[in-house]
Amino acid sequence: MRGIGVIKGIIVGIVLFFFLFPVYWLVTTAFKRSEDWFSWPPSFLFSPTLGNFLGLEGGFFGSTTTAIATITPYLRNSVVVALLVACLSTVIAALSSYAISRFKIGGMGFVSWIISIRMLPPIASALPLYIIFSRLHLINTWWALILSHLVFTTPFSTWILLTFFNEVPRELDEASFVDGANTWQTFLWVVLPLSAPGLAAVATLAFIQSWGEFLMALVLTTGKEAQTLPIYLGRFITGWRIAWGPLAAAGIVTMLPVILFSLLMQRYLIRGLTFGAVKG
Amino acid sequence: MILPLLLVFLGLTIYPFVYMIYMSFHRYNLASWEKPEFIGFGNYREIWRDRTARSSVDFTVLLLVTAVPLEIILGIGIAFLLRDFFGERVFRSLLLTPMMVPAVVAGIAWKMLYNFEFGPVNYFFSLLGIAKVSWLGTQLFSRLGVVLIDVWQWTPFVFLILYAGLQSIPRDVVEAALVDGASGFSALRYIELPLLRPLVWVVLIIRLIDVLKIFDIVYMVTFGGPGSATHSYSFYIYKVGVSFGWDVGYASALSMLLLVAVTVLTNILIRTVRLKETLEL
Repeated sequence: MRGIGVIKGIIVGIVLFFFLFPVYWLVTTAFKRSEDWFSWPPSFLFSPTLGNFLGLEGGFFGSTTTAIATITPYLRNSVVVALLVACLSTVIAALSSYAISRFKIGGMGFVSWIISIRMLPPIASALPLYIIFSRLHLINTWWALILSHLVFTTPFSTWILLTFFNEVPRELDEASFVDGANTWQTFLWVVLPLSAPGLAAVATLAFIQSWGEFLMALVLTTGKEAQTLPIYLGRFITGWRIAWGPLAAAGIVTMLPVILFSLLMQRYLIRGLTFGAVKG
Repeated sequence: MILPLLLVFLGLTIYPFVYMIYMSFHRYNLASWEKPEFIGFGNYREIWRDRTARSSVDFTVLLLVTAVPLEIILGIGIAFLLRDFFGERVFRSLLLTPMMVPAVVAGIAWKMLYNFEFGPVNYFFSLLGIAKVSWLGTQLFSRLGVVLIDVWQWTPFVFLILYAGLQSIPRDVVEAALVDGASGFSALRYIELPLLRPLVWVVLIIRLIDVLKIFDIVYMVTFGGPGSATHSYSFYIYKVGVSFGWDVGYASALSMLLLVAVTVLTNILIRTVRLKETLEL
């Protein structure tokens, strides 16, 4: 039995190595000096520097402006867009899933239809949205991104919240009606507070999805007025000799909120990600 | 209360969808100033002759038949491995990382790892005495490279769902079997795996659909290259419709085919596995 334990341990080690090494490499590269980006053998031991974050280590950011100065507009766009997407899709999803859960609006067909929207390939909606938004003069604005992100966050959020609302006992609604509350009051003061973990999970997931979204942002934005961090990162990958250090540093800035959120919200996220299919 | 959702759906999915069907029957290029011209099934006929389109279908199918099964097998394996393992909570949190890293950031990491001259992947190979591999320079390896990244990013998702499922299997069922003299292996084979099956189907459907839309990783790591070896279907639509020429008419026809494929595939799968019952809808 002891031998099996050791073998198991070794396999777990290999598994963890495979899944964590890419992240480890990205994080360490962000703290390497330029001579360590291109060294052979790859440098596992190095004296760390903050130069990549501050724009001291040369590369694409140029010598006069710092990395922080160039990344700021994109960071701002990402924060605004992702926060608004999280709020809007949670509000929309909460309203509609309450309606579906309590008044059976639309029935089964409507729910399947909502799920089927998640299956739409984003590239298929990006092109028509581009043309529609360009007529409305929304290209390269926050709203183009917010609206296009709502396409895939709201169906998902609605579906997850549905399972949360279905778990709130209907007797509570009825008790609240008996006490003289109307539908809105019952929704706001009875059902919503009881589904707080669900709302948090849904908002976080929408934030994460919007924050990392690449395709819509690539098609629907053209400049730093609206472009988000993923697009900023994507711009640097085409050159043949890439400034890995600053790029990795920018990658960390992009990754950090998502990782922090997912660690904080882990319990609820897992339930969200498994679509409530598994009662976890 | 349902109104906001309906507005989103009507304005942002149905209307664009109808508009896309309209475009797919027209010669419509945003780069030229010509008005859309109706050409019937012309765009669809062109797909038939388009060799890059065919190779992008090949590559997408390759991803479907290699990455997805690998993810399922590894996901099941890791779920069983970590169960009852010392420190499984910590490991589970750690394994969440790849799927949380934004695809673009993952792309940067992997592009570094695959680098021919100084990438760690080739370094580990050299430690094992294997010659350097040009990961992004040859058709075979660049395709394998994308498969590997997809496996890296999404096996944790498969693991997570199956692991949660595994823990919801009542322990006494398994223990009763063990008391009745079943070996640990046959309990696994005849009780736990069958109980997991509906979830495996759910995961399979989600992964199949997601692989059909793979884009970010391809854009960041290979940009479809070398040549058109790693054009995923979505990437090809992007190239036709946006980056190389704004031929939105033809891109819409390509998108229509993708939509049809996704719809047919999901309907078949949902029927075969009675997904609705599984998800308690």
